[in-house]
Amino acid sequence: MASVEVGEVRLPLSEAIYISLQNVRRRFARVAITTASVTLGIAFFVSLMMMASFQAQVGGAGVQPYMYWLLFISLLVCGVGITNSMLIAVAERYKEIGTYKCLGALDRHILEMFLIEAILVGGIGGLAGYVIGLVAAVIYAVANPSVGLQGALAALVKPNPAVPLAGALPVAVGLFVLGVGIAVLLSLIATIYPAYYAARLNPAEALRYEI
Amino acid sequence: MALRYEYTVETEDLAKYYKMGAYIVKALDGVNLKIRRGEYVSIMGPSGAGKTTLFNMIGGLDRPTRGKVYIDEVDISKLDAYELAWLRARKIGYIFQTFNLIPVLTALENVMLPMIFAGVRREERIRKARELLERVGLGDRLYHRPTELSGGQQQRVAIARALANDPAIILADEPTGNLDLQTGLEIINLLRQLNKERGVTIVTATHDLKMIDVSDRIVYLRDGRVERIETRAEIAVEAEEY
Ligand SMILES: Nc1ncnc2c1ncn2[C@@H]1O[C@H](COP(=O)(O)OP(=O)(O)O)[C@@H](O)[C@H]1O
Ligand SMILES: [Mg+2]
Repeated sequence: MASVEVGEVRLPLSEAIYISLQNVRRRFARVAITTASVTLGIAFFVSLMMMASFQAQVGGAGVQPYMYWLLFISLLVCGVGITNSMLIAVAERYKEIGTYKCLGALDRHILEMFLIEAILVGGIGGLAGYVIGLVAAVIYAVANPSVGLQGALAALVKPNPAVPLAGALPVAVGLFVLGVGIAVLLSLIATIYPAYYAARLNPAEALRYEI
Repeated sequence: MALRYEYTVETEDLAKYYKMGAYIVKALDGVNLKIRRGEYVSIMGPSGAGKTTLFNMIGGLDRPTRGKVYIDEVDISKLDAYELAWLRARKIGYIFQTFNLIPVLTALENVMLPMIFAGVRREERIRKARELLERVGLGDRLYHRPTELSGGQQQRVAIARALANDPAIILADEPTGNLDLQTGLEIINLLRQLNKERGVTIVTATHDLKMIDVSDRIVYLRDGRVERIETRAEIAVEAEEY
């Protein structure tokens, strides 16, 4: 009996990124739902940290220990939301995943495509969350005479050591880095299970699935 | 192509059982088939006969309960996940009833996809994808996405995609099932032309008698078993009798 001389099977990173980008662009409604979860979590995180920094600036209470707990829980909820939404995205694409496998995709290629999508979703959601959080915090400052716009601006350009990990940077920059970073990381972690599930699908089963 | 094998596909006592609670569904139950290189074979059978299951086994998409599948004389049960992926990318082209194009990619990108997995250079991918789309009559639809194409056009893209890596065999599972009669016949005739012009072996499943008169052989499948096999000559005789 003959044996095969197997050549390579590959999916260059640039192509995987291109496909994931197309998925994000062309499936915007679906992606927006996943992104909303990230956006809300990060907006809450950023606004809470900023408001506390404003308070500290004008001699108020500043960041309270209970806030960390509140933030932790809110990000956890947000992560569960991403996982849930990504699981639906996988279910919607059963047939597509089966097709990729027919065309030569390895399990890890499927995993890669979903994880890159998670990074994109996290990045977009983090950016949007930061902007919304910033706007909310500034509105809070303006509406609160003890802080005011002046107090807010002063606080934004000054480091606040109470901000975790990014306490050395000016608050506006530190929370940007931290917010987007957490968003990407959270989205990645929350997508590991759905992506792994998608990658392991048996192609025959995946193709049978009718939506 | 370095080696030429007489048989592209061989199955030996091929069986696939599914457990459904207390029942066992015998989707395939001892199928022996030999398909020659360059043949055009139709698998005829009513819904539930086991056509898709047979394709899944031949196409390396699922493991049989019993028996063997040889593609170009290689026993595919011996292949690991990497080798199977390579086999699917290089040796087999798949065509489905529901077209299964990647919706977010253009026609050109869909045809290029199998060549990406096969490691073909970018310029060569583009050249070949264009050439194939022109061959199936879609030279002016390169940048359309599946939703912007009719069913018949989508199936043509799928045919071009199936040919991208010059596979030894094309497996077409009810390729005309979602098309009207006229478009379906056009697709079947295109497959037959490509079969003659490129020597690619084609196995297609259908439950529509109107789709089989291009075949070299017809395999009648029922309840997971081969009921009978007709050759071209016999088909011609029958056609005259009608
Ligand atoms: N994954 C599965 N689980 C259980 N039963 C299955 C599965 N796939 C196919 N079958 C059963 O196997 C038989 C053959 O199915 P199939 O190969 O799809 O037939 P065809 O393609 O000829 O219509 C049917 O009775 C079907 O219900
Ligand atoms: Mg079927």
